[in-house]
Amino acid sequence: MSTAVEVDDLRFAHTGADLPALERVSFRVSAGESVALLGPSGAGKTTLLALLDGRLQGWSGRVSVLGAPLDPDLPPPSARRSDTGFVFQEFALVERSTVLRNVLNGRLGRMSPLRALMGSSTKHDLEIARTVLADCGISDLAERRVDSLSGGQRQRVAIARCLAQEPRLILADEPVSNLDPARAGEILALLAGAAQARGATALFSSHQPDLARRFAQRIIGMRAGRIAFDVPTSELNDDATAELYREVEPIPGIGLRAVS
Amino acid sequence: MAFRGFGGFATSGLIAAAILWSFATTDVELSRLMSAGPRIADFLGRMFPPDPTVMAEIKKGSAETLRIAILGTLGAVILSVPLGILASETMVSPAVFRSIRTLLAFIRAIPLILVAMLMVGAVGLGPLPGIIAVAFHATGMLAKFYAEAIDGVSRAPIAALESAGAGALVRLRYAIWPQMAPVVARDTIFRFELNLRESLILGIVGAGGIGFYIQTYVRSFQYDKAASVTIAVVVMVIAIEAINVALRRRFT
Repeated sequence: MSTAVEVDDLRFAHTGADLPALERVSFRVSAGESVALLGPSGAGKTTLLALLDGRLQGWSGRVSVLGAPLDPDLPPPSARRSDTGFVFQEFALVERSTVLRNVLNGRLGRMSPLRALMGSSTKHDLEIARTVLADCGISDLAERRVDSLSGGQRQRVAIARCLAQEPRLILADEPVSNLDPARAGEILALLAGAAQARGATALFSSHQPDLARRFAQRIIGMRAGRIAFDVPTSELNDDATAELYREVEPIPGIGLRAVS
Repeated sequence: MAFRGFGGFATSGLIAAAILWSFATTDVELSRLMSAGPRIADFLGRMFPPDPTVMAEIKKGSAETLRIAILGTLGAVILSVPLGILASETMVSPAVFRSIRTLLAFIRAIPLILVAMLMVGAVGLGPLPGIIAVAFHATGMLAKFYAEAIDGVSRAPIAALESAGAGALVRLRYAIWPQMAPVVARDTIFRFELNLRESLILGIVGAGGIGFYIQTYVRSFQYDKAASVTIAVVVMVIAIEAINVALRRRFT
């Protein structure tokens, strides 16, 4: 089985931070797998996903995404970025634009910059947009402005934009933590289902163990920038999960760090 | 009160000194103001009734002022788009946006009437120096506003487009522009209003517009005609303000 994501001894610290946001992080995700990153706020999930998306530089270690290594100091070229789709916690939509325009924005990396600036979407682009809108159940919202939509509808638009990229890897950062529980299940089912239908690999983060269990084949537990466990969903035990969320005790002079 | 302690005492002293210095050195003869009562009455009397026969001049002058404001604003917009981008913290390097911002601050510091006088010297009398002066002067403010509009947008959609593989200009077009468009519209309309108000007096230095007639009539003691022009100016300013309020409501 080919590998979608391979991370080896990754370390990253935000500028000016005392402690690294990620340390000794190593794992691998096979193509087509659906994996959840589980852990409390501040565990490093968002940082890890942004890094895999090519939006963070200045790390050390080895990271390869979809078979090609990432450069620790340079963002990847746009064609490679299109292969990796990203769903943001806060939706990250252009509020004053229509749903269709936001979904077509997902195609921008697949066009030449000149064509993109001219605003001339091809038939192919529009066809893809229509398909993903239908897949996400929002065909009837295409002409609506995003600022008139509900939270659940917005995340559907964001997922549609991600799918319009035709990604082979889908990264999602807390995609449902801004939604009510009923909506959260629906949206994660949509995301996991769409990834599976396309044979795409999915890596999403969550701080809710039950959601991670329902939609992932494997769960990677993170705490304080490190990987605490990496197990198939069926083997996830409650003690290990509880350990992830144990109160962090402050140690003088070390700052936020787990006592172990 | 806000003035407390030594700092407050020093501030109060400084303000008092400034006022005293101004009075003592300006030759303010209050007695002259008192005795001028009848003359002021005479002056105001000569303004009434305003002479309505100058309608043709008012129309011609107002139209020219309007043209100066429109073309001056257009020039300022054309200059402010590239300068606004170059003055934006989020689009260019600190060295670039800092030097452009300094340049804009210098431009803002030069009063319009001064620019107009220099332009009259450079290109001669008429509306052209007025247009150039308005375009130049307004750019100092408008480019700064545009830069702030660029920097004020939400970053998340920009990161999303970056993640999708879109380059910087494409992100400007699809993630930044749709967010900043209403701000740019409001700022531009606001600047147009200012341009119109400020260009009313450009005629005084020979840079075209209705100010020319105010100057002519006051200098030749035709106060009734000057009064008519003044009324026309007031009506124009109020009308433009009303139109702008209505327009601004549309851009939200």
